[in-house]
Amino acid sequence: MAITDRVEKIRQNYVNTMPHISYERAWAWTKSFQKTEGQVHIIRTAQAFRDTCEELSVNIWEGELVVGTSGEYRKCAILTPEFGWTWINDEIDTFPQRGQDPYDVTPEQIKFIRENIFPYWKGKSVEEAFLARTSEATKKIGVDTGFLDTDSKWRNGIGEISADYIDVLLPKGYGGIKAEALEYMKKLDETKPADKKKADFYKSMVLIADGMITLGRRYAEKAEEMASAETDPKRKEELIEIAKVCSRVPENPPESFREAIQFVWFVQLGGIIAENPLAWNPGRFDQYMYPYYKADKEAGKIDYDTALELVECLWLKYSEWAWTISKNTASFFAGYTNFENLTVGGTKVDGTDATNDISYMAIQATRECMTHQPTLSCRIHPDCPPEFMEAVTELVSTGCGFPAIHGDRTGYQMLSNLGYKPEDARDWNNCGCVVPHSRKTFEWTSSASISFAAALEFALNEGKSRLSGEQVSVPEKDPKSFESLEEIIEAWKKQFRYLVKHGVISLVTAQEIHKEIGHRPFMSACNEYCMKNGADLVDGGSKYNIGPVFTGVGLSVTANSLAVIKKLVYEEKECTLADIIDAIDNNWEGYEELREKALACPKYGNDDDYVDSIARDLADFFYDEVTSYDDLYGNHFVTAFMGISNYLPTGKVLGATPEGRHAMDPINEGVSPYTGSDTSTCLAALRSAAKMKHEIHSGGTLLNLRLNHDLVATKRGRANLGAMLQTYFMLGGFHVQFNTISNEVLKDAQAHPEKYRSLLVRVAGYSAQFTNLSKEMQDSIMARNAHEEF
Amino acid sequence: MIEKRETIPNGFVMDIQPFSVNDGNGIRTTVFLAGCPLRCQWCSNPEGFSQRELVGWHQRKCIGCGKCAEVCPEGIGICLSEERFADRINRISKNDRCTACGACVKVCPVGARTFMVRQMDAGEVIEKIQKHRLFYMQSGGGVTFSGGEATMQPGFLRCLAERIYDLGYDMAIETSGYFDIQDDNGTFTDKEKRNAEDIRWTLEHMDMIFMDLKIFDDEKHRLYTGVSNKKILKNIKQLGKLHQQKLSAGKSVPAADTLCNKDDHTAGPRVVIRIPVIGGVNDDEENIRCSAAFVHENAPEAEMELLPYHEFGKIKYEALGMAYDRPAFSRPSKEHMEYLKSIVEDEGVKTADFR
Repeated sequence: MAITDRVEKIRQNYVNTMPHISYERAWAWTKSFQKTEGQVHIIRTAQAFRDTCEELSVNIWEGELVVGTSGEYRKCAILTPEFGWTWINDEIDTFPQRGQDPYDVTPEQIKFIRENIFPYWKGKSVEEAFLARTSEATKKIGVDTGFLDTDSKWRNGIGEISADYIDVLLPKGYGGIKAEALEYMKKLDETKPADKKKADFYKSMVLIADGMITLGRRYAEKAEEMASAETDPKRKEELIEIAKVCSRVPENPPESFREAIQFVWFVQLGGIIAENPLAWNPGRFDQYMYPYYKADKEAGKIDYDTALELVECLWLKYSEWAWTISKNTASFFAGYTNFENLTVGGTKVDGTDATNDISYMAIQATRECMTHQPTLSCRIHPDCPPEFMEAVTELVSTGCGFPAIHGDRTGYQMLSNLGYKPEDARDWNNCGCVVPHSRKTFEWTSSASISFAAALEFALNEGKSRLSGEQVSVPEKDPKSFESLEEIIEAWKKQFRYLVKHGVISLVTAQEIHKEIGHRPFMSACNEYCMKNGADLVDGGSKYNIGPVFTGVGLSVTANSLAVIKKLVYEEKECTLADIIDAIDNNWEGYEELREKALACPKYGNDDDYVDSIARDLADFFYDEVTSYDDLYGNHFVTAFMGISNYLPTGKVLGATPEGRHAMDPINEGVSPYTGSDTSTCLAALRSAAKMKHEIHSGGTLLNLRLNHDLVATKRGRANLGAMLQTYFMLGGFHVQFNTISNEVLKDAQAHPEKYRSLLVRVAGYSAQFTNLSKEMQDSIMARNAHEEF
Repeated sequence: MIEKRETIPNGFVMDIQPFSVNDGNGIRTTVFLAGCPLRCQWCSNPEGFSQRELVGWHQRKCIGCGKCAEVCPEGIGICLSEERFADRINRISKNDRCTACGACVKVCPVGARTFMVRQMDAGEVIEKIQKHRLFYMQSGGGVTFSGGEATMQPGFLRCLAERIYDLGYDMAIETSGYFDIQDDNGTFTDKEKRNAEDIRWTLEHMDMIFMDLKIFDDEKHRLYTGVSNKKILKNIKQLGKLHQQKLSAGKSVPAADTLCNKDDHTAGPRVVIRIPVIGGVNDDEENIRCSAAFVHENAPEAEMELLPYHEFGKIKYEALGMAYDRPAFSRPSKEHMEYLKSIVEDEGVKTADFR
């Protein structure tokens, strides 16, 4: 079936409008906080949520079947000043003009926000607390530097939660959650301090539930009101149905597929209002939605096409909300991407194949809608049905960059290594871009971005930035005096340790602040064990509390650079280390011949152990170092190579590097080869990446490759692609994602954006509309090596 | 039973290319063996003409550092291709000043000097093939022998084929069909007999055989390829018989069980007769029709595949300093290829496609 007119109309609006800033949420939140001064923070937060649900404008847009919006605009971006507002204050005037991820905002709005909202938060935000508590040394290396960045944990809401639809939300509804909280409260003795704290928690659960119930009720009323005024009989009927659905959910457990879809969106909307979160994951959608579909289908109440249209309406809802981020953050997470990660496929907890009609429906919805959300992930197990593999690879062949494809067993191992019980590890879903995750978990999955290449720059430049000359890291001796590769690697380790140390200090500081003023009653209500334990996520209420994740960036650039020094300086004596230092100091100008030699050295991504082994050693050191630290909760920190789009900003702050890269050029993301240096075959790139011991980097590993479109144009070609994926997973790889659009198409899209508004491409760990990316981001995507043979 | 001959451990290898997806099932590694009795004017692998080691110079990569010239025992300068061939008519001359000692390959810091044909021992080749075994297992792929003309090194070819057969990988061969496996007049020397046995053994153990039928008209065939096509036509007939022989010999063991979509091979190798379609040479309806009719009559089990001409080989001519002086061959249009395909099917021959 082709996409319906309704969905196409909504889609056209999505494709052709810029997100608009709304302050409704921020204003309601602020007013509530003004009223609750002096109360405990968790109650204040829950009360603010409840009040906001009462105050937000209620909007049902043209043609919608799934309703609920975070503000007065259909494509809406909201503000959360309680986390950080100074950056908004600094940047809001340029929101509509900025290159990456612009937002519409009117001068009147800006004036209102500045006069009424920001003044209240002065001195109260997480960001200000963080900066006040952070030393100059840490700031120098780890605040807005591109060497080490942790600001997603103190400038924005956290997110990084997978809602537990299976054990909590769908079976209970918010009515049930409220009743349960009240029940728990009865058993408490408030003369006991511990119980008193629990009482505050349960009170906040009641407020959250009331907020959600209010939201449903208000939409039911609105739909009813609109229905009575509606002249088109068909739409009238639809509005009556919407009213009926919203009068039942999210208060009650859904009883039909339609109600379940609306329920899921309300939960998503609740999370958005609460935190404006990054990586707020719908999780294993096919697993919890299938029972509703099956029951309705068997009862003759729904058919595949009707269900598909509802799923597509939901996909557009996921995409109409835009994350509000700073210019700097936007360079890391380009493309309005909010990482609402939705997982399909894989195995059930009992080990049998988990795919069902909804798995296919999700893939079809993504292909037909071409929306940048949800971030669709697939789990592929060794006995994956060929039909599912064909559906997955067929979606790859459209070039939209979806889905992110994951090895089922590696995901399981990654969680097992963190101490998960087998039944929970087997039930993993994806979080954000490529993080194996669970609905039973509290974890900061994308906490610190740490640059391997920066550590090398400091090691080879006395602890100074090569571009600014500033002493940002620990001093090191004159690089020209190093006498062996081992000595250089030791210097790299020293610098890297310093980065890790300040990352740890920053994140523990951020954790302390969140424990004080970052309570998360809404997210805690979606977590089975928070309710059982009577404790918020920030107080360790969840079943699993996992340490914050460091994501390494620039692995291949660094390994390639060390390989060049090893080969040209110490083995073949083509040049001295001083020559290389002079060359990179001069950004290779006047050293073109040396650069050619450096480029010809073995490069990661070609299945060459000469350099791959260096990369693996660096990755192992990263793991050993990071996991040696414990966080505020006593859990060790976790490593990842997940990338996002951080290879641009982290490259921009670096001078030239010994492997031939010029100053300020991008570095590389995840375990991907450096752009253009994987000159062998796709198989070799996969084999290199698979050497990185994926299962120990439990925060996820990311591999981006480009494929020539011709080679996935046929079923046969796609079967081969499926075989490649299975092989990568057999070798221990975790994730791979492909761009298959030819550069001719991308060039044309750059020249004629109006023709390509809906063109989706892979950025890193996620997809975005190509025309929504800045020119430099577009260029870097084109520069990624296309494997011509495949 | 044909007895195994003693192992030939060394052969002349042009390239071992992993991730080949258009010459047989699944993901394959193609082994290009040097030496070819034909001199097709459109050839894209000129390094494969002879069984001899060859070094090439890739001008685009060269930084002109002169290291190669410093180490060359023959005193050849940087521009290898400009000073190497004494005799340009024969293209690759025995009088070539370059002896392919490889000294320059070793010292070139940027990979501008490479071996384009190199002697390798079978173990080394097998090791490179095995590296990708998981990809073969998952995709139902394996190994394809190509060239040059792989049957020009019958002992080495068989040696490789035997080892791969034992490993259980899917095997295919691409051949010009220009070989002798039938001693019709009883005039074979011992060496020729042994070669014929090796080739026959190899063909019988293939899962798939690609054989070219470049031009049906013999005179034209001689003009464009330098040899008559009589032997090729004869061998196509032989292939037709291979099925029955293999069945009666009772040794139809398919390669290891893989999950690919391949057909049941118990009846012998799948045979695909290929026509490289060169605009202006053999892309006329008559040539295609006659070829297809011949295949239909003499190898009824065989399928046919039409491949359009490409110019990817140009870069190799440059690297070897060989003149790329060929008539203006053209690449047939997609529509014309479709039309020719319909003619083949018209003649009752199934067409194959590995794209």
